[in-house]
Formats: sequence, structure tokens, C-alpha cells
Amino acid sequence: MAHPSEQDEDEAGRGVSRRTFLKTAGVGAAASSLAGVALPAAGAKVLGPGPASLTLKVNGAARTVNVEPRVTLLRALRNHLDLTGAKEICDRGACGGCTVLLDGEPVASCLMLAADAEGHEITTVEGLGTPDAMSPVQAAFVEADALQCGFCTPGFVVASTALLRKNANPSLEEVKDGLAGNICRCGTYSRVFEAVQRAAKAMPRPAAKRG
Amino acid sequence: MAQEQKPPEVPTVTYTVKAGHASNPQTLEVHAAQGDLKPWDLDSKLRVVKGRQPRLDGKYKVTGRAKYTFDVNVPGMLWGKMVRASVPAGQITKIDTSKAEALSGVKAVWTSEGRTVRFAGQDVAAVAAVSPEVAEDAARLVQVTYDEASFVTDLEKAMADDAPLVYEPDKIPGPKEIPRKGNVLGPKPPGRGGSRGDVEKGFADAAVTIQQTYSVPTHTHSPLETHGVVAKWEGDQLTVWASTQGVFTVRDGMAEALGIDRKNVNVITEHMGGGFGSKLAPSASGTAFAVVACKLAKQAGAPVKLMLDRQEEHLCTGNAPSALMTVKIGAARDGTFTALHYRSFGSAGIAGGAGTGGPAGSLHGKNPNLKIEEHDVFTNAGPAAPLRAPGHPQGAFALESAVDELADRLGLDPLEVRRKNEASPVRLIQYDIGAKAIGWERRNKKPGETAGPRKRGIGMANGNWYVIARGSGVGAEVRIHRDGSVEYFSGAQDIGTGFRTAMAMVVAEELGLKATDIKPNVGDSRWPEGPGSGGSNTTNSVAPAVRLAAHDARMKLFAVAAPMLGAKPEDLDAADGKLFVSASPGKSVAFKAAAAKMGGETISAVAQRKKQFETYRQDLAGCQFAEVEVDTQTGLVRVVKMVSVNDCGFPINTLTTESQIIGAMIQGVSWALFENRVLDRNVGTMVNPNLESYKVLLSKDMFEAVPIVTEIANAGNNTSAAGIGEPCIVPALGAVANAVFNATGARVRTLPITPDRVLAALAEARRS
Repeated sequence: MAHPSEQDEDEAGRGVSRRTFLKTAGVGAAASSLAGVALPAAGAKVLGPGPASLTLKVNGAARTVNVEPRVTLLRALRNHLDLTGAKEICDRGACGGCTVLLDGEPVASCLMLAADAEGHEITTVEGLGTPDAMSPVQAAFVEADALQCGFCTPGFVVASTALLRKNANPSLEEVKDGLAGNICRCGTYSRVFEAVQRAAKAMPRPAAKRG
Repeated sequence: MAQEQKPPEVPTVTYTVKAGHASNPQTLEVHAAQGDLKPWDLDSKLRVVKGRQPRLDGKYKVTGRAKYTFDVNVPGMLWGKMVRASVPAGQITKIDTSKAEALSGVKAVWTSEGRTVRFAGQDVAAVAAVSPEVAEDAARLVQVTYDEASFVTDLEKAMADDAPLVYEPDKIPGPKEIPRKGNVLGPKPPGRGGSRGDVEKGFADAAVTIQQTYSVPTHTHSPLETHGVVAKWEGDQLTVWASTQGVFTVRDGMAEALGIDRKNVNVITEHMGGGFGSKLAPSASGTAFAVVACKLAKQAGAPVKLMLDRQEEHLCTGNAPSALMTVKIGAARDGTFTALHYRSFGSAGIAGGAGTGGPAGSLHGKNPNLKIEEHDVFTNAGPAAPLRAPGHPQGAFALESAVDELADRLGLDPLEVRRKNEASPVRLIQYDIGAKAIGWERRNKKPGETAGPRKRGIGMANGNWYVIARGSGVGAEVRIHRDGSVEYFSGAQDIGTGFRTAMAMVVAEELGLKATDIKPNVGDSRWPEGPGSGGSNTTNSVAPAVRLAAHDARMKLFAVAAPMLGAKPEDLDAADGKLFVSASPGKSVAFKAAAAKMGGETISAVAQRKKQFETYRQDLAGCQFAEVEVDTQTGLVRVVKMVSVNDCGFPINTLTTESQIIGAMIQGVSWALFENRVLDRNVGTMVNPNLESYKVLLSKDMFEAVPIVTEIANAGNNTSAAGIGEPCIVPALGAVANAVFNATGARVRTLPITPDRVLAALAEARRS
């Protein structure tokens, strides 16, 4: 039998298939796939259904992946670039475990197509620091024991980093707000809050208070 | 009971130890198998153990470098995907995989031989394909036809005489001598809770008797890393990377299921993303996915990664049974218990094991008259699995709510009622510590007396657990290399508790080094055998073997160093990276310098855990205090602060021990206020198999969590360590419920304590 994505060939030809990705110029990352499917824009580029070659700028380096257009950014990172720090936990944007930075903003990489991430700066937890040169946030997590099994930890580290870049000295309530989208099942929240506030103290203060 | 005496079966050595809590030390004689070391006790001067050591694998976890099973990618690897029953009961009449097999990229297909469906989510078929996306497509193309049967998912409906039968009477799992009727098996003989005395007489003697029924819904474990494996064959050698709490269980289970020798199976669990009891089976309680993955890999001639998705994780990997518990307590006017009748029904889905009477024996340790009756009720739902102190948080919720109700009836301080009935010297110490930390005197003397719509209250509850350890068949190896580096090996897995770091601390203690000097090697079935991580037994089982191996390595290194110091090996000691003469510490040699003198490249020491015959106490005491704020207009409950006071023997690593206690408070509050697996009674499938409508506690729900460890030299093994993972969650549900009562004067007896239930309880309280 044919590949199931070929069932949508007719639709794909019109650029409105569920299984193909329609890329529209100038649409913001978070909303582009939805906006694209709803309303084909002039000059739209149709990818798929077969694998497409994408160039992703990850942790400062241009990386090429050959993936079906339906592949999420999370799976492109994990399964095609072996960047397995971001985790697939709920696969529907409920847990924060797959959080990466897209042009500095935290996004759920399970809710974004890899194709949509082309042209953006992607930073994963691996790009924030290394075991021998941890970022202040990462070091504070270790010191405060803000992790147990650690499976949620990359998501928390990325979200905490994004929070501190916007608010260099968050109150406890602001930390809770900033991490409201991340689930920890071992139950380490209070030590995560402690780590974020420790990291805030350890980090050099930017001139502007809020970004 | 100061200590439990058992006749020694092997040659023993006797040690006199200072045991118990520092505020109330007791001198004990303990017997250990010959060659074991004297247990660390209250007089031991420990340099590393009991300290606060950040976990050694932390730097890999926070930078995304730690490789969990879900992260293992091996060359040529395929992706597996299971197909699960979409109906809750019936017979499978046809599994048509032809369309899936024809799909480009599909390399292997498996179908179940079983045809009887008893829950929605049961294994039916599986595929392996070149990508997860193609595997998902292929799974959708498998067409399954069912002859559907009537079913029941609701606990109380399943107890009815005319309920659809989950099992034919002769197929009900459980011993034949236990009475069975319809879907109900029981009463079962009491487990750890025990029965004793004459309850009828006890109730006749009582000045006051209270009886209430409490209920807890089914919870799912919901570890963030779902169950899964990567299976790889090389000839007849099988390597399985598994997200498991028991690498040796997986090894043995795969060998048995696949008909191969255990020595040909290697299981690796370097890092593990949570289990909470659901990952103790070779696959999981309601699925054989790991075996299926191995079969798919064999069939395809390529490695297969098969990770369950979030929905499957809820459906078939286990859950904590629901519970419907009736507690009747008789007491004298001063609160002294005279009798307890505890009767529970619970559903572990298609499995047994829904008992909740366990805590009664400990929490009513001085009550002369106990009758405990437990019943399993079968429903068309996925089978349960142990979840963090199985049955105990539920049972303690009922028992401790009832004590609170009794105290209210008698007009007594609930803490005083507990003191009066307390059998554990440890818990008596904990009461004072906890009461001080929460500010017990701040509670409402009359429940609900605070003015205004937002009412605060403070409650407390007790919990218990047991000193559980695998006494034999547990090993460890410590190696000192010529360059002075040290590593240890234990096949047992670190499931996130900090086991790996704690064992390094034990090695460091013996060798006079820092924990960071020790390279840990854990979670691999090629290394010395360890237990599955259940019953809070991992540290307790393995640490004594690690200490023995480290001590042996230490003595071997002392033999090398002794001539350098002009002393005898037995006159040496080790600390701060040096070996020195105990009597004149100025005479020393650096650890590395001594290691450089060894004959050969490595000093290797292998040890097996030795049997020990007594312990200060076999039960682990704990109690928790909660402060809540209840909005009586909306019914919303917010936990403000929680204090957990726990006994885990000696904590090896106080930092990570506290993290587990904090985690237990959080998971406990999550169960008390939010978690509820909802099955659709009309179609029999789960309504909320995800992480947003199966609501768990999040940052915004977070409270001030205060973990307090009461260090107990329990002398139950040479490290005096016991477990912590489970005991600290047992009191949580009762503590929150009792705090809600203290805040409002309204009793919620059904969990979770959702706003609608609070409002209903307030209305009820106003009426009465």
C-alpha cells in the first residue's frame, strides 16, 4: 500500500493538507502553522509529503536535517540531530519538558514543526552550558538539588533561563509564574524556585531591568 | 519493642551500638554475619555520610547530556508502536495487519495471541518502522474487530450483585481459599495491618464510637519518562536499555519470556525518568511491551526503540487502586483507643492487591482490639501496580481522618489523642519537632472559627512504613586504580533518588576521600546484583555491601601504605585524602601516593551484603503537618505550608533525602487536591489520559515545604540506613484533609478535595 501521506496528494496540491506543511513568509513562529493551514498565502512554499531538507540554526551552528514536513522541531532535534536534552513527555504542550528557546523566547518544541523553525535561532539546553562549564542557572540547579529523576530538568532550566533574561531579579511569585508551564513529577518545585533565585543573585545584572 | 530477636542461622559477630535518636539513645546488642562491620551509630564520627552532597550526575542532567532510555539512539534503529484495545471488554475476532505491513518503511509486525479483552488499553498488536511517524501511521492502519461484551468500570457498581463479571468465578486472580462473590474477592487475611484482640468487647468498653466511610480515587503514576526500551540483538546476545526500577528484573523477565539464558541478556539503565513503583515489572503491569520490542527487533534484524506514549502510560502501566474505606474506632473519654474495625474495598482494575489496611497495625500499635478486612473489587480497567507505599496513603487518610473526627467528638486536641495512643518512641519525638515547625498552637481551637470567607487551618496526620531490605544476593565492587582514582560498581539503578551519589558517599567515607573523588557506575546488569527499587529498599540493601567493598579496598590500600608509614595496616586511618597513623596523625601519606605503590594496576574489592539479625525498630515513623487556606465562597483549597518529619534510619545524603521528602509532600498534596483518573462509565475508556486534565500539582499550586529528617541509628545494617521514598508520602492525604476541617469545620471524606466537595461539605456542616 502507498504511504498514507500520499492519500492527501490532492489536498497537498492545493496546499491545504493536514500532512503537508505550508510555509508562509513573515508569519510569526508560534502561529505560523495554524495561520498557514487556514489561509494559503501568496508565494507559499509547499513541502512534502516526502522528506524535505531543512536548515536549522541550533546552538549557533547551521545543521541540515532531512525530515518529513510533519516532523516536529522536538523530534528533529532529538531523532535527527541527537540533541536529546529536550524531552518528549506529553507531546501536546502541557508539560514544558520540550522547551527550547526560539530567538530567545521559550517555546514548546513538540507543538512546532521543524520546518517552521527555519530561519530562527534555536537554543536547546545543550547550548546553555556543558557539564564542565555550566551556566549560572544550571549550576544553581545542581547546588540546590533542584532535580530528582531529572527528566523535566532541561525544560525547567530553559524556562528559568528565559525568565531570568526578562526579569533579572524575580520575586517568588514571579518565578512561579515563569515556570507555570512546567511539570515536575518527582516534586522538586520549591528547590527549583530556590535555584532560580540563587542563579539570579549569581548572574551579572543587565543594565535594563526588564526586557 | 526495643529490638526484634531472631535466631542467628550463620556464624555471627556481636556489636554493641548506641541506637535510636540522639535525644533518647539506647544501647543495643546486634548480631551480624561474621565479617560484617559494626553499624554506624550515634557515636560514629562520620565525615561524609549524613552530609549534603549535590548529586554527582547533576551536571549531566542540567545540561541535557544525561542519556535516559528515551534518549538512546543506536545506528539502524527502528521505532516501535503498540496498538491497544479500544474497547473495555469482549473478544478480539480479527486483527488485520495487512495494510500496516504494506506500508513503506514498516519492518516488523507483532500480534497478540490473547483474544479476551478485559480493559481498554490492553496489548493487541505492534509495529516497528523506520521512523516514529511511520510507526504511528502503521499502528493506525491495524484493523481490530471486537465482539464486545458488557463491562463495569465503577467500584461501587462492580460490587453490585448484577454487575457484569470482569472474570468468570474460577478465573479471578487470588488464592482459592479467599471468599469470592461476583467481582468481589475477600475479606482477605490481614496483611501487615494484622488483627488481634476482641473488637466486639473493645467497642462495648468504649465511651465513644465513631464510624465513617472515606474514599480515594484511582491515581496514575505518570512518571515523566514513559515506560520504554531499546532492544538490540547481536547474535544470541540481547542488550536492552530500559526505563526501569529493576535492571535485574528486566533481565530475568526477558530471558524467561524469550526462552534465552539470563547471561545472554544485558540490561542498562543509566538514568531513569521516574517510576514511583510502576517500573518494577519486566515490562509493566498491563502490557508486555518490552518483550514485544525484543521480538520486533529479532524479526526486523535491527534494534527497536519502543517508548509508550502518554496515553498508554495512563492506561496500561499501572495505577494506585481506588479505595472505599469504613473506619470504626472506639475510645475511652480521654481518647485512648479501645477498638478498631477497618473494612476496605478497592479496585486494582483487572488485578488484585487493592488492600489499604497496612497502616492500621502501626498507627494503632497500642490499640488492643483490631479487626482488619480488605477486599479486592475487579473492574474493567488497567491493572494496578505498586505506587509509592502501596495502599498506605489511602489507608492512613481514612484512619487519620477518623482519629481527627474522634478528637473533635471528644473535644480533645488531635495531637494529644495521638500522643496518648502512640506506640513508637520515634513518632513521639517527631510530634514535638513537627508541632513546633508548623506552629501547632496557631490552629483553630474550634474548627472554622476564623472570621471571614478565607479561612486558614492546621491539621496533622501520621504515616508508617517498614525497614525493607534484600538481605542477600546484593553485591558491590570498589576499585582503586594506581593513579589514585576510585570507582564503584553496583548493578542497581538510580531512579532519581540520588542512589548513585549516596553510594559514592559511603565509599568516600571509608576511603577518606570526597564523594566527588568517586566515579559511580550503576544501572547495568553486568555489574554486581542489586534489588529492584521497591519498598524503599535500594539504599538499605546496597549501601552495606558498598561499605564492605570499600572497607576491603581500604584495608588492601592500608597494607600498601603501612610500610611507607612504618606502621601496621590495622593502625591506620584515612581522612581528607590522606592515610595516617591513628595514634599520630602527623605521620601520613597522600592517598594518591599510596595508590601509586600498589602491585598491579588496580585494587579490586568485591563484597556481598551480609545478613543482620536485629534493628532498633522495624517500622519507620513519620508525621506531617499542613496549613491550608480555604476560600469558603469558591471552595478552593490552597496549601500554605507543610512540614514533614520522617525517620529513614541514617540519611546517607541529607540533601537528596530532603528532596525526596519535599517530593512526597508535593505528590501527596497533588493526590489530596487534584488527581483523579476518570473512566467513562458508558464506553469504558479513560477520559483524561494526558497531563492537563489528569491534573497534577504545578508551580502555581506550590506551598512552603519543610522537610525534617529525624536521624535514627537503627543499626539494622552496617550503615544504619533505611528507606525514605515511600514513608514520607503516607501521612500527606490525611494531613491536608484534617487541615481543611480545622479551617472550615467541614469534613471532606472523598478525595480529591475539589471545590465542589468543599462547598457541599460546608453546606452539610451548616445543616448539622
